[in-house]
Amino acid sequence: MNEPPEPISPYEAIPIRLRVNGELRSGAVEPRRTLADFLREELSLTGTHLGCEHGVCGACTVLVDGEPARSCLLLAVQVNGAEVRTIEGLAVAGELSPLQSAMRDQHGFQCGFCTPGFLMQIQALLEERRALSEAEVREELSGNLCRCTGYESIVRGVMAALGSGADG
Amino acid sequence: MAERSPVGGGGAARFVGASVQRGEDLRLLRGQGRYVDDVRLPGMLHAAFVRSPLAHARVVGVVTEAARRARGVVAVFDGEEIARLARPRASIPGGTDDGGPPVYTLLATDKVRLVGDPVALVVAESRYLAEDACELVEVRYEALPAVVSAEQALDPKSPPIFEDLGGNVIYGPTTKAYGDLAGTFARADLVVQAKISQHRQQNVPMEGRGIVASFDPETGELLVHAATQGVNTTRAALAAQLGLAAEKVRVLAGDIGGSFGLKFGISREEVACAAASRALGRPVRWIEDRGENLTVSGQAREESFEVEAAVTREGEILGMRVQMVVDAGAYPGLAPMVVDSVREMIPGPYRLQALEFSATVAVTNKASYVAYRGPWAAETFVRERMVDLVATELGLDPLEVRLRNVARRGEPPLRMVTGPPLAGITARESLERMAELIDLPEFRRRQAAARREGRYLGVGFATYLEPAPGPRSPDSPPDPGELEHQRMRLEADGTLSVFTAQMPHGQGHETTLAQIAADQFGVDWEQVRVVVGDSSLSPAGFGTGGSRFATMAGGATLHAARELRSKVLEVAAQLLDTGPERLAIVGGLVVGEGAPAGGLQLAELAAAAERGLLPVGTDSRLEAEVTFDGGESGWSGGTHCALVEVDCDTGRVRVERYLVVEDCGEMINPAIVEGQVRGGVAQGLGAVLLERSAYDPDGQYLSGSFMDYLLPTATDVPHIEIEHLETVRLDPDVNFRGVGEGGMIVAPPTLCNAIADALAPLGARITEQHLPPSRLLELIGTIGG
Repeated sequence: MNEPPEPISPYEAIPIRLRVNGELRSGAVEPRRTLADFLREELSLTGTHLGCEHGVCGACTVLVDGEPARSCLLLAVQVNGAEVRTIEGLAVAGELSPLQSAMRDQHGFQCGFCTPGFLMQIQALLEERRALSEAEVREELSGNLCRCTGYESIVRGVMAALGSGADG
Repeated sequence: MAERSPVGGGGAARFVGASVQRGEDLRLLRGQGRYVDDVRLPGMLHAAFVRSPLAHARVVGVVTEAARRARGVVAVFDGEEIARLARPRASIPGGTDDGGPPVYTLLATDKVRLVGDPVALVVAESRYLAEDACELVEVRYEALPAVVSAEQALDPKSPPIFEDLGGNVIYGPTTKAYGDLAGTFARADLVVQAKISQHRQQNVPMEGRGIVASFDPETGELLVHAATQGVNTTRAALAAQLGLAAEKVRVLAGDIGGSFGLKFGISREEVACAAASRALGRPVRWIEDRGENLTVSGQAREESFEVEAAVTREGEILGMRVQMVVDAGAYPGLAPMVVDSVREMIPGPYRLQALEFSATVAVTNKASYVAYRGPWAAETFVRERMVDLVATELGLDPLEVRLRNVARRGEPPLRMVTGPPLAGITARESLERMAELIDLPEFRRRQAAARREGRYLGVGFATYLEPAPGPRSPDSPPDPGELEHQRMRLEADGTLSVFTAQMPHGQGHETTLAQIAADQFGVDWEQVRVVVGDSSLSPAGFGTGGSRFATMAGGATLHAARELRSKVLEVAAQLLDTGPERLAIVGGLVVGEGAPAGGLQLAELAAAAERGLLPVGTDSRLEAEVTFDGGESGWSGGTHCALVEVDCDTGRVRVERYLVVEDCGEMINPAIVEGQVRGGVAQGLGAVLLERSAYDPDGQYLSGSFMDYLLPTATDVPHIEIEHLETVRLDPDVNFRGVGEGGMIVAPPTLCNAIADALAPLGARITEQHLPPSRLLELIGTIGG
């Protein structure tokens, strides 16, 4: 009969390696550490924000292997070996990306707190290279909460970015 | 577009009136903003609070030993320990009419008064460990009956929430009367009565509250990184509560993730963290989580009104009698001030001849009453719902009743019956323009046709005035605390620094003040640096709120830039040996007769002034300081209109069109104005269709997550059409007016009036603000109420 495995201490650090915004990063994290906290606290990538920590507001959205994911609901150990992209990785050589420029042109956001989650969600959308109506864009954004804008300026920014044909 | 007067120095305005891109976005869109949660200090500790699970209870014992021994824990403070480190708070600054205000400690000591009341503070090496240790704090409670409604609180037999108060009334009843009320009721053909209420709702900025407090035992100085609407206000409150000299406290604020009125002054939890930092000699950080934010940060709007309106058959509203009751929650501070504003503003743009207004504020075992975008909004909700109820009663169209009652510029009365001048109001123009935009007769035909098919369309209007900050009153000079102070300096590198006490939290102030300063001074707006968020650099002033920014800070910037320009031209004239009247600043260069061919760079001029190359006696400090009293100021305002369809099978409201005709004077940056309007309307639609801070009969909070407190999403908010009216210029120079609160003030009555219009044939009488599908189905009798 097999002995049950030793339980892992909640405080035991587990080594992880992943690629973040193209750079290879490694760390040792407690099993319960969220991806958001790992990015913010250990990698000092504070551009990813925590708005609810229960997976509803979407402010913490990052791309994990190209797919939008809520970094408050993922554990850092779950992304071992993955490719993670955050808002800090959007600008190209210090210049605003086409998406960021479109958002600036349209006054997309106000306080900036929900911004990282929206931008990463939209980035994934742009990379799908689908033609989308405004109603479809609103549907795609309906999992991200913004309290400042009433969404119209954000939707306009997405339409402008889609119209420019750039994939981000 | 507003007509703009040409300005001196830089020639005609180039940036004011243009939707220039925001300077803030360069950092915010790259993830390089700096919010309080992003601050990291060496040796920083993390705080978490043990909170009450009961709404009303005596605290019999707090046992912290196990938590103190827990992994990573540095300290645990119970309520008594924090009470020895900081002074108690008074519930109502200035006190009540009868007797003193109740005082309370930062953390609960003798009793808890709402679910989530902080009982102990754990400080540990990480937030994870602090939260772990919270689980180990044992608190013994002796439950008391909870008081969960104003109705309960007004019952003299209800258990007192503050024993020293006796009952649960903290203000009133107070009654004030204006005009000949008896006369208007005697002349009335009809008295229309209604009981109108607003429900509890809340700010919910995407970023909650938070603080990093760092006390330096060597110098005795406290450095605080805060999420606040005003660094000076926060500094003053902190210094007072900790017994420190204000000079020993410095408050810094970076980017703020929204606030909507929530982050004024400093909260109990934040002061407790500062006290802990002082006791421990290490930085302490607390970042509120969403559960805490929804449960205890504060809630607003829960007010009910009994209204009687004296009206004529033709729809003239002569007088009103109003009784207001506020459910102010457990530790209210603001409610009496809001009562004063509601009373003063309730006549709105209408020629009301008499008003009797009484108010009572009650404490309950719920979250404390806080300011929320347009805190006095009930005046518009009650008045605009009442206008529609009058119209229904008389069989008149609501738009016609509004036009019949609205004041006209330059015709008596020149003031509201409660006192505020009506100078410059454009309510009538906004109503008339709205009527054109929607083609009301055509809509009524469409509505009638739809009804024959069993479909229910409705149209609703509401008109409002936003005191932003309101016209100068000839008989009451501005309160010294309301003056706007500003400093402006030409730096050695030729940039212009603008120092303001305003504290933007999404409004783009760094951009709009730069636009104004640039036009007046004669530089590019990107050469202007707006300095906010440091109490050691800030001029006096309470910060950002009350829709005051555009007039007050915009005006102060305009005057400071003019003054500094004159000063710089004086200095330039000295250096160039010419007359200042022959020089101008254009595009960042001093040009004119006597200036070098390519112009004199501002940086060169600043360097020369610094090196003392000026004749003795010349004031070489390239700095200006102004105090602005608001000038003639004025109202913002306008009319909103919603066209809706209510699905009587599902109770769902579809907003077909939402239109805004608004007047905020001269727009500084139209894209920012429209962002403020749309954001406010979205919150107002959320309030009516989704949001409610709900409690059960034991005072348990039922809306503690985003699955329960529903915010509008991109699929809930329709396209919002906006038209701007031409301004009335009351002031020779400053005609920018605030626009932050209007959308949220007027959207709820607009939408409720439209829904009421849709459901009129079904006999539903709407006197409340929260109309989710379940409630609409009750009101039309589809399901039992």
